[in-house]
Amino acid sequence: MTTMATPTQSSPDAQVLNYNPKSESAGAKRAKSTIFHVVALALTAVVLYPGLWMIASAFKPNAEIGGANTSLWSNNFSFDNFVTAMEGIGGVSTLQFFTNSLVLALGAVVGTILSASVSAYAFARIKFPGRSIFFGMMIATLLLPFHVVIIPQYIVFQQLGLVDTYVPLLIGKFLAADAFFVFLMVQFMRNLPGELDEAARIDGAGHVRIFTSIMLPLMKPALISTSIFSFIWSWNDFLGPLLYLNTPEKYPLPLALRLFVDQTQSSDYGAMIAMSVLALLPVLIFFLVFQRYIVEGVSTQGLKG
Amino acid sequence: MINRRHFLTTVAVGTASAAALAACGTGSSTAGQTGSAENPVTINYTWWGNDDRAERTRKAIALFESKNPDIKVNGNFTDFAGYWQKRATEAAGGGLPDVMQWDLSYLRDYGQRNQLLDLSTVNINTDAFEKSLLPSGQIKGKTYGIPTSTNAFAVYYDPAKLAGLGIAEPTGKWTYKEFNEFLTEVGTKSSGALFGSTDYTGVWWMFNIWLRQNNIEAFTEDGKLGFTKDDLKKWWNLPAGLRGTPAIVSEERVTQLAPKSPFGSNVTATEVTWDNFMAGYLADSGAKELKLVPVPSDDPDNLGLFLKPSMLMVASAKTKFKDAAARFIDFMVNDPEVGQIFKTSRGVPASKTQRDGTTFEGTDKLVVDYEKSIEQYLKDAPEPPIVGFGTLETSFKRVASDLNFGKLTVDGAADAWFKEAEDLIKQNA
Repeated sequence: MTTMATPTQSSPDAQVLNYNPKSESAGAKRAKSTIFHVVALALTAVVLYPGLWMIASAFKPNAEIGGANTSLWSNNFSFDNFVTAMEGIGGVSTLQFFTNSLVLALGAVVGTILSASVSAYAFARIKFPGRSIFFGMMIATLLLPFHVVIIPQYIVFQQLGLVDTYVPLLIGKFLAADAFFVFLMVQFMRNLPGELDEAARIDGAGHVRIFTSIMLPLMKPALISTSIFSFIWSWNDFLGPLLYLNTPEKYPLPLALRLFVDQTQSSDYGAMIAMSVLALLPVLIFFLVFQRYIVEGVSTQGLKG
Repeated sequence: MINRRHFLTTVAVGTASAAALAACGTGSSTAGQTGSAENPVTINYTWWGNDDRAERTRKAIALFESKNPDIKVNGNFTDFAGYWQKRATEAAGGGLPDVMQWDLSYLRDYGQRNQLLDLSTVNINTDAFEKSLLPSGQIKGKTYGIPTSTNAFAVYYDPAKLAGLGIAEPTGKWTYKEFNEFLTEVGTKSSGALFGSTDYTGVWWMFNIWLRQNNIEAFTEDGKLGFTKDDLKKWWNLPAGLRGTPAIVSEERVTQLAPKSPFGSNVTATEVTWDNFMAGYLADSGAKELKLVPVPSDDPDNLGLFLKPSMLMVASAKTKFKDAAARFIDFMVNDPEVGQIFKTSRGVPASKTQRDGTTFEGTDKLVVDYEKSIEQYLKDAPEPPIVGFGTLETSFKRVASDLNFGKLTVDGAADAWFKEAEDLIKQNA
C-alpha cells in the first residue's frame, strides 16, 4: 500500500516536469511542496475515514456507535467489544469461524492455482479439436450471473448428498470453474514467447515437463494475482456458505458477522465491528505479504527478450 | 484470438444448457417415520436470530431431547435476511428443513405453493391459544403455522425525556388530533433538540390499524385492496402540517441515523411500533426506562388493535418425520419450561400454559402488562398477508418517505403507491 503512494514522495524528475527550478526561489519551492502535501494528506484522511471510523467504533460501547454519534472520539474506549466478539456465537467459538474461513480460503487458493494453470496451459499451448468452442463456452460461463445457477447447482449438490459439507464450495475451484482466472492465465501465457517451449520440445520435454519447468516459473506474477484474488473472494463470500452450510460449527466468518445484527431483536454493533476488524487482518496480512510480488510481476513483465 | 462468430454461438450454447439444468426437479416421499430411544430419528430445526436466541434455543432443544429420547434435533441458524434467501433456494431444491421458525409475511407465499405441512393433520394441542389468534396461521382452512408468541402495536415513549421538558406522560386515551398536538409540544418545548416522533403515517401497520378503527378492511378476501385512494389520502393528510416541523423528524435525519432508529438514537421522544422492540430500544438508547401506551384513535371504543404472531412454527410439507416434527412444535409452543427459557425474547408467549408457566420481570413484565391492558380492545388477527406483501410494505414506506422529503404531494404519493400496489397484485393473481 505504501508503495502505491508515490505522488507524496515527490521525486526530482516529477518536479522538473512541473516547473523550472531556476526561475523559482527555494522558499517558493517549499511552499508549493507544503501545499501539495497538505492537500494530499487531507484527501488521504477523507479516503481513510471509514476505516478509521471502523477501528474507533470497535473500541466504543454499543450505545455510542452510529445513530446520532458521529464523533470518532469516545471517553469510554475499551476492549469489551473484542471480548464479546471472541466469545463466539451460540456455543461456537470465534476461533472456529476463523479456522473455517481459513480452510475455505486456502482450499480455494490451492484449487484455483492447480486447476486454472493446467487448463490455461491446454487452451494456450495445445492445439486440440474444438479448442475455440471450449474456450468460448468457458468465457460464456463468465457471462452467467451466479444467481442464475444457484438453484440448479443446489439441486445437484442436494441430490448428491453434499449439502452441509465444504465440497460444493471447493469442488468448483479444483475443476477450474472460475473462468476468470483461467482467462487471466491464458492471456498471460499467450504473451510468453513460444520459442521457449519449442526449445524445450527439441530437448525432448513433453507437456508435463514444459508446464512444470518452463511455464509455471514464468507465470509467477499471474499465479500470485490469482492467489490474492481467490483468497479475498473466498474470504468474503457470503452467499455460497449461506446456501450450502447448515451447521453453525461449519460457518465461516461472513455468516458469523451477520449474526451480531438482528433487525428483530437487539443488535450488538460493537461486537460486529470488532469482529470485522479481526476478520480484516488476515486479508490485510495476505495482501501485504504478496503485494511486492505483484509489483515485481508488473516490472518484470516489461522486460521482454 | 477468439473468433467472434464462434464466440457468440458458444455463448448461446453454454447459456442454454445451464438453463436446461434448472428444469430438473425432485419428487417427494410422505412416509411418517418414527424412532426409538436406541435408534432415534433426527429432525432439522432452523431459526433466525442473534447469539442470545441461539443460546436459548439450544437450551430448549436439550430439554426436548431429554424428554423425548427417540428424537434428536439438529438445530441451525442464520440472520433474518439470509434466512429467506436460503429458504427460497431450499424450497426450489426440495430440501426445506423439517421444522422452521417462520414469519407471517412469508406464510401465504410458501403455504400456497404447498411447501408447508398442514398442521391440522398432525397432533398439536392448540387449546391454550386465544381463538382470535389462530386464524393468522391459517389459509383457506389449512393450518400452516402455529404462533409461538404475540406482539401488539403501541406508542413508546421515554418518561425521563418528557419529564425533562415538563410534559405530562400520555395516558394512551387520545385522538389523532391530540397525538399531533403532543408531538408538536415535544418539538416546541425542546426547541428542536428533540423531535416528537418519526412520521407515523409511513408505517404500514399503523395505517392498517387506522383502517380497522374506521371499519375498513386492508385486503379483501380475494386478495385485493379493501380501501380506496381517498382513504389513503386522508391518512397521509393527518399530520400534514407537522412534516418539516420539529414535531416530526425529517427523512434526511432518519437516513443518517440508519441502521439505528431515531428513537433508539435519542433523537425522538416517541415511536409507534410493535411492543417486542422494547429490548432493542433499551439497548440502543441506553435509556433507563421506556413505557408503552395504546395508539391514538378517534373512536375510543375501537382502537383497531390486535395480537399478531411475532413468529410462527411451521413444518416442511416434505418432512419424513411428521410425528416427530409435530411433537417438537407442540413442545416449543406449549411447554411452560420453554416459556421460562425464552421469556419475551420471541414476543409474549401465545399459549396460556406457557404464559402462566413463565415469570416475567422488568422489561418483560412491561410488555406482558401492556398486552394485558389492551385485552378488552383486541379483535381478530388479520389473515396472513397477501403474496408480495413484503414488497407492498416496503414501497409504502418508500413512498411515505418521499412524501416526508417533500418530493411528492399527498395526492401524488397516493397515486404512486396505488399504481405499484395494483400492478403487484395483478402479477401475483
